[in-house]
Amino acid sequence: MFYRIILFIAVFLLKCEISNAQYPRQDERNQMVSAQIEARGVTDAATLKAMRTVPRHLFVPSNEASRAYYDSPLPIGYGQTISQPYIVAYMTEVIQPKENFKVLEIGTGSGYQAAVLAEIVDKVYTIEIVKELGGQATSRLKTLGYSNVEVKIADGYHGWPEHGPFDAIVVTAAAEFIPPPLIEQLAEGGKMVIPVGSPFMVQTLMLVEKKNGKARSRSLFPVRFVPFTRQ
Amino acid sequence: MRLSIKNQIQPTASGPLLTAIGLLSAAIIAFQLALMQVFSIVQWYHFAYMVISVALLGFGAAGTFLSLFQNWLTARYRQVLPALCFLTAAGMALAVGASQLEPVRFDLFLLFSDASHGWRLLVTYLLFFLPFFTGALAIGLTFVMYAGQIGKIYFSNLLGSGTGGVLALVLMGWFLPNEMPALLAVLPLLAGLVILPKKNWKLPLLASLSAVAIAVAMFSPPRLHPSEFKDLSKTLLLPDAEIFTEKSSPYGLMQAVRSPVLRHAPGLSLNYTGPVPMRPVIFNNGNWDGPIVPKPRDGEPMELNYSTAALPYVIRQPASVLIPGAGTGEAVAHALARNAGKVVAVEPNAVLVSLLSDELAAENDSLFHHPSLEVHCLEPRTWLMEDPRRYDLIVLPGVGSFGGSSGVNAIREQFAMTREAFTGMWNHLAPDGLLAVTCWMDYPVRNPLKLLATLAEVLEQKTTGDLTAHIAAVRSWGTITFVVKKSPLTAEEVERIRKFCEEMSFDPAILPGLQPAERQQFNQFQDSLFFKNIDALLSPDRDSLYRSYAFNIRPATDQRPFFSQFLRWKNLPQLAEWTGSQSVPFLELGYLVVVFTLVQIAVVALVLIILPLFKIGFRNGGRWWVVLYFGGIGLGYMFLEMVFIQQFILFFGNPIHATAAVITGLLVSSGAGSYFSERLSFQPKKLMTVPLLIAGLVVVFAFALSPILQATIGLPMAVKILLLAGLIFPLGFLMGIPFPAGLSMVAKHQQKATPWAWAVNGFFSVISTALATIVAVEMGFSWALLLAAAGYAVTAGAVRLARF
Repeated sequence: MFYRIILFIAVFLLKCEISNAQYPRQDERNQMVSAQIEARGVTDAATLKAMRTVPRHLFVPSNEASRAYYDSPLPIGYGQTISQPYIVAYMTEVIQPKENFKVLEIGTGSGYQAAVLAEIVDKVYTIEIVKELGGQATSRLKTLGYSNVEVKIADGYHGWPEHGPFDAIVVTAAAEFIPPPLIEQLAEGGKMVIPVGSPFMVQTLMLVEKKNGKARSRSLFPVRFVPFTRQ
Repeated sequence: MRLSIKNQIQPTASGPLLTAIGLLSAAIIAFQLALMQVFSIVQWYHFAYMVISVALLGFGAAGTFLSLFQNWLTARYRQVLPALCFLTAAGMALAVGASQLEPVRFDLFLLFSDASHGWRLLVTYLLFFLPFFTGALAIGLTFVMYAGQIGKIYFSNLLGSGTGGVLALVLMGWFLPNEMPALLAVLPLLAGLVILPKKNWKLPLLASLSAVAIAVAMFSPPRLHPSEFKDLSKTLLLPDAEIFTEKSSPYGLMQAVRSPVLRHAPGLSLNYTGPVPMRPVIFNNGNWDGPIVPKPRDGEPMELNYSTAALPYVIRQPASVLIPGAGTGEAVAHALARNAGKVVAVEPNAVLVSLLSDELAAENDSLFHHPSLEVHCLEPRTWLMEDPRRYDLIVLPGVGSFGGSSGVNAIREQFAMTREAFTGMWNHLAPDGLLAVTCWMDYPVRNPLKLLATLAEVLEQKTTGDLTAHIAAVRSWGTITFVVKKSPLTAEEVERIRKFCEEMSFDPAILPGLQPAERQQFNQFQDSLFFKNIDALLSPDRDSLYRSYAFNIRPATDQRPFFSQFLRWKNLPQLAEWTGSQSVPFLELGYLVVVFTLVQIAVVALVLIILPLFKIGFRNGGRWWVVLYFGGIGLGYMFLEMVFIQQFILFFGNPIHATAAVITGLLVSSGAGSYFSERLSFQPKKLMTVPLLIAGLVVVFAFALSPILQATIGLPMAVKILLLAGLIFPLGFLMGIPFPAGLSMVAKHQQKATPWAWAVNGFFSVISTALATIVAVEMGFSWALLLAAAGYAVTAGAVRLARF
């Protein structure tokens, strides 16, 4: 028994080593999760594990790589940003992802959110409207071995009806209306999460839940601003 | 001792020299206005403000340089002056192109995340500083050389500046913003040629090089690269997106864009299942202005019917609708789709109206030619003061933008959003009329609360009894629409609102007889304090919420018409703690940039004011009086100019006309005063008479200007122009005297300090532009005027400190 435990620990450490060799900067990821994400109340174990695993620095432009684990969004070109790590984690946690989930993402961007989801759920379908960003994300996700992510370069308005309904929909780009086809493709009891706010500000989120065929919204403020009044 | 400015022994300022100074001054002012537009396109309005303020330090820096190298420069005056004109021409022609090169190109949004943009900003400052510096050095050098005829030179300077302002506004209608700098660079080139000395081969060579630079920039205008974070940049990334119409004007560069995936349905109900229409969109200086909406066809529903903006039409069917600030016509189309018998649209941007009525008529199915529509190009406030009719419904333009606006409008005056504006609109409602305004929900909540505060104060003033009987608000997942009714809402109307909410999955936020549970039936809002704050604003004790809320939600007034300014300085540290230090700048970007600008220029100015004293001496003849005298003039003049422009916007009903009229009126009348000053003889101690007179007049203006303008706003335009001339000319004439008179005095008694005095005036003028904005935001326009008076009072007092 003792040798088995030793062997298990040895294999575990070896795996960690391989993982570290494959995705360096593990310490920074651990620090990011504990200081920025757990400290703000994200508790979902699968989400935390995914955030510790996905090498965020490989999803940002090389000139931003040194800041990849900072507590802030970063520009990725084409007027887009990779969200602050905490927001990615919160958006993931809020849809309560399960292993058997089929998730649709609108706005692939760098592919980071898709990769985090892909660590947890069965299948991720992601749509990007900017051809160049979509192309980069496709090859990045392929290189990193995310075989359960499918990227499509198209108008996210229509969703991906061939693969619907989806257990959850993650919209990463804020929009002034929620496309009716997306609500239609949301499964009964499903959750859709949408960020609201300027990309450089701490964002608030909107959660749309479908119950009895009817969509209802809930505004979520991941960062605790309140109370805004001074007594 | 009596000093006659005429009697000093100086070379005579020739006609060509005066022409050259006029041309150069015109070019500098016109270039400044052209840059405002260029920077507003590639970045945002407040960035333009920051760069130009720093570039204008070139004026003060030129004075400092002149102080340090006065002997060298004056000895070579005939060669140096045209050379500076040619360098200014080349700098103006090339600066914009150079600023758009990749290693230099700056982005305000990246400043807080990428350190390289700090350096890029510095290089950008330098690029635009140079032409202002060389141009100002030429003018300053002339002042020093012809100090005895300063009145004439200053006259030429002011007249040129006034003409340049108008010239830029005219040219903006004909040329694209990237074409303007090269075009304006011709003026300093001409200035140099007019005064080109004979038998000098170097100067023609320099002139030729400048001409080549201008030709290159003229025939191959620099390509402007708007920030990738601008609305237009993002839209152009959409598949098959194209700019299909473009029009340059003093109102901005308007561009119409279409793409097969560009859809518009703000705040659409989650229950809507139909298609969302594709709409071309108009951008102004790269910022989203509005969709091009077609004329509604009979029976065809419009997407706004599925948003909270439909609320007023649910309450009552209006026969007449007024749309102040009609923009691209979305609310107009909505009113027509809801079968309003008469729709009156008022929009101050005449070029936008012309685009939508003519060039884009095919795109909007001639919406602006609808038989039930009446269109007027005027500031809505001004229009309302002239219009005697009453309306069943007044629909204000939407407030805020989806997800907030990063505080970009914080220092924009919004006269249509003040308490007085709302009161004026209330007075134009029919007995059962409605006033409606839709607002994007933001977080931290600011816009909806300030809007409600304004409506509540108007209701309190205009109604008797329970003001909550007159107001309803309905909230969706992203928007909230407020409606106030002149008479109390009836039970039947309240029931219709409830039914509308049920059908659309909206929640009533304010309604007579509302139960707390009804407020979050379909759209939950995690901040429960929001509803408590709404109730507080509708109670008589709203003032305590104004005081305790983290943001400024007190209604905007005509005195402080900055609706989008929410920052309370004392709460800044707490805000940084809540949102993270990186987010704070984007919450209040517009205002913080002004403060940042003030700090930058104040530091640089202080250094450059002190520097020459090491050469000319700290005590020689007394220096304090020079700082106070010329600083006071710089501060007083700029404060007054800024407030006058604001006050006359409402009077003329058009910001462009107001700006042109005030700048031209003030500069030309000051020029006349300056010219006249040469005929005056001053006893040094009597130098204080004119500034004291000005200070007194400005105090009168601080109290009388607003009532005079309001009482005469309905007069015909020709009479208004005469009134403006009558009000401005005497004051402007007097304001033209202290500077040349003071400079002559310095030249006479402290000759070495002449360029330094000019530098002090230049620095204080630039500092005053930023300071005046902050004073207006924090204290209001009347205080800004009183401070202008104080500036001139300081000028008068400074004379007593002089040791003549």
